Amino acid sequence: MKPAEVSTPSDREVLVKRSFDAPVNLVWQAYTDPALMRRWLTAMPGWSMPVCEMATHVGGKYRWRWRNNENGQEFGFTGEMLEVALHSKIAHTQMYDPGDGAFGSMGGEPSIVTVTFNETNGITNVATLIKYASQADRDAAMSTGMTDGMEMSYQSLDGVLAG
Amino acid sequence: MRRDIFQAIADPTRRAIIALIALQAMTPNAIAEHFDTTRQAVSKHLRVLTECELVTQEQKGREIYYSLEIDKMKEIDEWLEQVQEIWEGNYKRLDALLAELKQAQKEERKK
Repeated sequence: MKPAEVSTPSDREVLVKRSFDAPVNLVWQAYTDPALMRRWLTAMPGWSMPVCEMATHVGGKYRWRWRNNENGQEFGFTGEMLEVALHSKIAHTQMYDPGDGAFGSMGGEPSIVTVTFNETNGITNVATLIKYASQADRDAAMSTGMTDGMEMSYQSLDGVLAG
Repeated sequence: MRRDIFQAIADPTRRAIIALIALQAMTPNAIAEHFDTTRQAVSKHLRVLTECELVTQEQKGREIYYSLEIDKMKEIDEWLEQVQEIWEGNYKRLDALLAELKQAQKEERKK
């Protein structure tokens, strides 16, 4: 499958698109069953997901929390389900939970995450749209990825210029 | 109003302009020749890019040349790249998990 495409459709949004070689019912299962979510939603190597409480009904609360296995640093997300349409759409609020504070706070307003699933010929396209409460929140969330101290390979201009 | 840089580079025409002037500084007319669009539309895109400080203008004789601010572009590119890598890391694990689920489903059907 082609690697994930990240774009910024507006000043408050980030859109991530990816296709998976599996029917939508299996992708849905992987997105909603905590035992399965824990196996892939680990964010980065060396991290685990000690808390993964999921809800699949409107108004239900979810809680996800990650831990760095080496230094015990934690962060997470919590929120409420706004819309759940079997095999097609999940929308929820998302509040950043800075854990021990090392990640810094990102303001009080929740962002809205909408995940849509669309199957064609056994391939499931998943689009994740994150709408932040403000442009500053989006920039802060995106820069967190940068300052996590992960060993990231910096690619030069090539990626954008080839695109 | 301050322009949003991510929004500026989300537009496909603006991305193509960036790719073009990354190679060499160009006049709006020369840029417009590469696109199936009006000179006015190109000027508008250049204005957006200039407001984000992604491109700079330089007067040479009677012509204005536009060139890319490579460092600014790199900064944005690295930013998006980082975000992309985090998501792709998760998605690769999801690929593996889905392959496993598919296999299990197939075996279930055989029974």
